[in-house]
Amino acid sequence: MTSQDERGARGRDGAIAVKPSAPPRFDVGGLIRRPETGALIGTVGVLVFFSIVGGRTFLSSAGVSSWLNVAAELGIIALPVGLLMIAGELDLSVGSVLAASSMTTSIVSGNWGMPVFVGILSGLALGLLVGAANGLVVTRTRVPSFVVTLATNFSVAGITLALAIALTGSTSSSLSAGEPAKTLLGSLIGGQFEVAVIWWALAVAVVGWLLHVSKYGNWIFAIGGDLESARTMGIPINGVKIALYMSSALGAALVGVIQAILYNGAQVAAGQAFVFNSIIAVVIGGVLLTGGYGSVVGIVMGTLTFAIVNQGIYFSGWDANLASLILGLMLLAAVLMNNTFRRMALSYSPKSKPVEQGRR
Amino acid sequence: MSFTTKRWASLGALAFTAALVAGACNSGTPSTAPVSAAASEAPASQAASQGPASAAASGGAASTAPSSAPTQAAGGGTGKAPNIFVVGGKADDPFWSRVKRGAEDAGMIVKAEGGSVTWLAPANYNNLGPDAAKLLQTALSQNPGAVVGPDWVPDAEDAAFEAIVAAKVPLIVYNSGYLAAAQKVGALNYVGSDDNVAGATAGKYLASHGFKHALCVNDFPGASFAEARCGGIKQGMTSAGAQYTELPLPSSDYGNQTAVSQAVKAAILKDPTIDVIMTLGVSDEPAVQSAIDQANARSTVKAATFDMDTTTLQDVKSGKLLFTIDQQPYMQGFLAVSMLNQYVQWGLTMPQQPVLTGPAIVDASGVDAALAGAAAGTR
Amino acid sequence: MTTETPTSPPLLRLTDISMSFGSTQVLTDVSLEVRRGEVLCLLGDNGAGKSTLIKIMSGVYQPKSGKIEVEGRPVTFTSPRDSARYGLATVHQFGGTFPLMTIGRSFFVGAEPEKGFWPLKRFDRKFANEVAVREMRQLGITRVTDGDRLVGGLSGGERQALAIGRAVYFGASILVLDEPTAALGVKEAAHVLRIVMAARKKGIAVVFITHQVTHALTVGDHFAVLIRGAKAADFRKGEKSREEITDLMAGGEAMAELEAELDAYENAHEGHAPQIA
Repeated sequence: MTSQDERGARGRDGAIAVKPSAPPRFDVGGLIRRPETGALIGTVGVLVFFSIVGGRTFLSSAGVSSWLNVAAELGIIALPVGLLMIAGELDLSVGSVLAASSMTTSIVSGNWGMPVFVGILSGLALGLLVGAANGLVVTRTRVPSFVVTLATNFSVAGITLALAIALTGSTSSSLSAGEPAKTLLGSLIGGQFEVAVIWWALAVAVVGWLLHVSKYGNWIFAIGGDLESARTMGIPINGVKIALYMSSALGAALVGVIQAILYNGAQVAAGQAFVFNSIIAVVIGGVLLTGGYGSVVGIVMGTLTFAIVNQGIYFSGWDANLASLILGLMLLAAVLMNNTFRRMALSYSPKSKPVEQGRR
Repeated sequence: MSFTTKRWASLGALAFTAALVAGACNSGTPSTAPVSAAASEAPASQAASQGPASAAASGGAASTAPSSAPTQAAGGGTGKAPNIFVVGGKADDPFWSRVKRGAEDAGMIVKAEGGSVTWLAPANYNNLGPDAAKLLQTALSQNPGAVVGPDWVPDAEDAAFEAIVAAKVPLIVYNSGYLAAAQKVGALNYVGSDDNVAGATAGKYLASHGFKHALCVNDFPGASFAEARCGGIKQGMTSAGAQYTELPLPSSDYGNQTAVSQAVKAAILKDPTIDVIMTLGVSDEPAVQSAIDQANARSTVKAATFDMDTTTLQDVKSGKLLFTIDQQPYMQGFLAVSMLNQYVQWGLTMPQQPVLTGPAIVDASGVDAALAGAAAGTR
Repeated sequence: MTTETPTSPPLLRLTDISMSFGSTQVLTDVSLEVRRGEVLCLLGDNGAGKSTLIKIMSGVYQPKSGKIEVEGRPVTFTSPRDSARYGLATVHQFGGTFPLMTIGRSFFVGAEPEKGFWPLKRFDRKFANEVAVREMRQLGITRVTDGDRLVGGLSGGERQALAIGRAVYFGASILVLDEPTAALGVKEAAHVLRIVMAARKKGIAVVFITHQVTHALTVGDHFAVLIRGAKAADFRKGEKSREEITDLMAGGEAMAELEAELDAYENAHEGHAPQIA
């Protein structure tokens, strides 16, 4: 307990704990203790940077839509993947789920000519099915989710390829979606912004509510923090995990459907980039890879950072391969920075009283 | 000769990498094997004349004229149809299903004359070189009248090819390896394609149609087939005095249509002189179409692509796409089998060395024939 | 020390509990009972079957044979939630084991207070924080005033207080404490023992699992020693000396000097109960 006085001193500089749980407090100490602080710094940093090197087009609506569209689709997947990571699990199968659902929608409504909403529902249902399978295998077998979902990613890719060839004789399929579906899922607002941006905003609201406002968020944090304790405290762990796997697969399936409708077709090879991109976005967003810590604002910031770097590079006139380099370095920097902020949050002890009962 | 040998060897390596990339990614771009003979259904006059002409131009001395048949097997002519073994890719791979169809169609004549054609394929592409070598050994063990095989991995396969040649079995290397690899193992001929030639053909087509600045969307930077294709476009455009820009996409964009489309949008916003966009495979084509719409540049920017599928053919038909480049895989199977049959039976020598089966440009004038071919499983 | 007459049924009674995993017999006919306001100390070396017994009491495992009674009524715990419904609460070595959650959130894991109407029910953060801070204060922790702090910033004793306060708040009548003092320094341990006494005074039945005889003797009313899955001794306060107990635990040999070594081992390995043992 030698650091007692030190901590007390720091406590006095920071928050003044007069009213213990007075709701919002915007002090510096409070900000530093939040998981998304590092991500926020990153997002603002790259935005300023590319605004300078990217010139006027980068900040025009065409430029903003360029990274916002990419962020929206990545974000729809990264949000539930982030929830899973907070709960201590990974989902590496989102890539194949995306391809499988977009192929399903396209084959059902394109090749087979069924109404487009049937295709959309089939695509989403397929996602839910794969997610449920992931969740069941992870909870039943206790094989690490890394392995389970990696296996799913390969299996689903294989099934998609084989079925696509068996059913259509081709590795791609074309689809011309009718009007309500096109407007809802695959149109460009103002000729620039994908409707996916609105879906992303909705997803942020729903997931933000779930994680930070509803009681289910508490369950997710607890499961990722300590699985055994969470189990003892009566949280339905398997149910929560299966639901989370279904939601990440649903997110991937939704993006698959959106891409099928927006680009008038689907390909079996699509989607694999989302597997690692979603993890990168979530980790840059301050979520702890081993679970138990993270926030929705952080995931949103991580997603934006990823998209700004990935697309900003095209406005800078530099070799696009530099984007990968920057993202790699940012990932490393983000993890280091987030570790620091987390340590600060942990060591930030309550204000100590001069005389304590039961202690010196 | 050493210059050409080296050149073809390096192209062979490019093709091999391309084969791996295409196989590993299960992409819809099995780009290894372009082909074009100005066959009956090859597109309209323009494309048809363009193809072989440019092939000849950049194929160098080796392909300018029919050369004499290789020494080792000259003077054949058994009068009997041979049993031909063909080693190829998986039949559920759309590219290889067309090669196989060509081989089988040629096989109908062989069969009618009393011989046979047997298709040998690996179960997957995980161990391409050794698997192909085993298939070649299998072929040899059955006393073949002739063998056709792709030189995907020369190091792994060359011994098997040499064993076939040593057993005095006529051999044609096709699809991968180019002429140098075929000559190295003593094969009669090479039947296949050249990505660089295909790119140059596209570049010349564009320049001759008045395009001033082409953007090559390279979604596999570093992969040899991609470099060969983009490099070919560059040659074709710049030699005609037009401009060329390459847009390499980082691997974090691969398979993400939105990322590709936003990258292309950014590129055309950044440089308004770009008036045509080439994609290396069909998978990026819808993304490019969307990018053109989002940049509001439908009237000033056109698109074209390598490879084809029904979606791209429809886009050519509807005018959204200038052209697609057909590799004519059917021709590889058909020509290799036919030439061997005639060589073994009647002693007919190889008409040309190498036999380049591509590229064929399918533009609006040839799209209906291509659509019919696609429906029939030959295009 | 008991506040009940011996004839009334004990709050928790285990009778002839046996447990095996595959061919490994982990517990053999273990019988225990604990009454209201009484501390039962369960002593045993590593691998004696303590963790398994805890998991049976908290509903994680179901015994292969034997009977569990709560206030004389036979019960079966099919899940931790089930066991909690009968008033059992288990507190693990590190107490609140969610270092990256806030005190308020951690206090209410699995029993979150909500406000608002379905489907827009919200986690009542203000209420949770107030209750958590208040309950800890009642157990003598005054340093903690902000329920929004992370549990990871608390000391070992404070975490135990958080966990015990939580159990008491949720009406636990039987508290199972799994090595609560093992990872603590002398002062922190003393603090936890004081918390145990406070809980006992409230009429709660405490099952105190430990291998530290001194700690057990300080708070225990009733003792049971587990050796290789079987109950080796069962005695009340004052019936045996510290040395006798230590010898019993070590399998009858005089191995007082080994205790320190055992301590070190347990400290290093009992952060979490092993999955199977």
